[in-house]
Amino acid sequence: MSQELHARAQQLIAQERVEGISAPDQQWLRLHLAECISCAARAGATEQALRSLRGLSIALPSGLAARTQFRVRLRAQQLRAEPRWRMVWAACGISWAFGAATAPYVWRGLEWAGHRIGVPNIIWELGFGLWWALPAVVVAVILLMENAAGRSESVWKRQEN
Amino acid sequence: MSATSICAALNRPTAAAALNGSASLLFSTFMADDNKSLALALKRRDPDVLDALIEQYQYRLFRYLLYITGHHERAEDFFQETWIRVLERGHQYDGKSKFEAWLFSIARHLVIDWQRQKKAQSLDALTNPDEGAPMEFAGDDPSPLHQVLTHESEATVQASMEKLPAIYREVLLLRFQEELGLVEIAAVLSAPLSTVKSRLYRGLEDLRGLLAGTGEPA
Repeated sequence: MSQELHARAQQLIAQERVEGISAPDQQWLRLHLAECISCAARAGATEQALRSLRGLSIALPSGLAARTQFRVRLRAQQLRAEPRWRMVWAACGISWAFGAATAPYVWRGLEWAGHRIGVPNIIWELGFGLWWALPAVVVAVILLMENAAGRSESVWKRQEN
Repeated sequence: MSATSICAALNRPTAAAALNGSASLLFSTFMADDNKSLALALKRRDPDVLDALIEQYQYRLFRYLLYITGHHERAEDFFQETWIRVLERGHQYDGKSKFEAWLFSIARHLVIDWQRQKKAQSLDALTNPDEGAPMEFAGDDPSPLHQVLTHESEATVQASMEKLPAIYREVLLLRFQEELGLVEIAAVLSAPLSTVKSRLYRGLEDLRGLLAGTGEPA
């Protein structure tokens, strides 16, 4: 039997397992393997290698899934909080930009109102300062509320664990 | 349990009931039809679905990571990082491909990123042994992979697997243990189909040679 035939058989043995072969090729291979002991042994060895590979097993670390689930849930909580914070900062940014654009008008408006009511200058000037600080005050309030909620949540988690 | 819990988490009580007991074979068919639901659940970052997925795929993902890293603790770290990434990037899963292929692809990228940082080499150098050093097992003795491959009767196979470069172990696992199609493997590896085929042929040939007792890859 020529070397080309053996080479073709060996190529088809691997190809059959990796990507499949056509029916005529399958038939040719069966006939060849029936006649050729060395190629049949090679086919057997390949099949045995794959059987052994499929039979391999590993030991899973204990608690792997539970630990991962816990971490994923924590991260999910963080991710849920992120859009809220983006909204808060966006609102602050818009507020400050709007405040900067309208500051001269607000200043004049407060000045006029202060003179009209007859309050000392320092009062309406403080009012102007407060008007500027308002977004920061709102953020501070939200931060305090978030921290309080976070503390009660972690207490709840500790109790659950 | 896992198949049922995923169905339940996806709000499919009928399917969940049908999957009780020995219907795990049906599960893969169900999941193929229901990948869209899974994609939506991942988009929502549904924690119950993620919990069920972690349980369902824990063995397969850990085995894959162990094969490509060759290191038990590292595989465990990557396992957790992979699921965090699934949570963060769940919206990128479109439900058109198999979930496990997408999952393995995420895991693989994490490992390669880590390898890249560690060795500051190119991706090709890390993944193609013809162009550079392949991913290798840690030099511990006995190797961590050896420690976790359990049955004594598998000693020869595990020894042979350890001798194979990681890129061949990886494709052999994906093809013959995970039974992914060639196109799916190519997607996981982000490599051309021809590369996948050549690695499979080479890996199979080497494994056969090693198991035949030549001691070296054929």
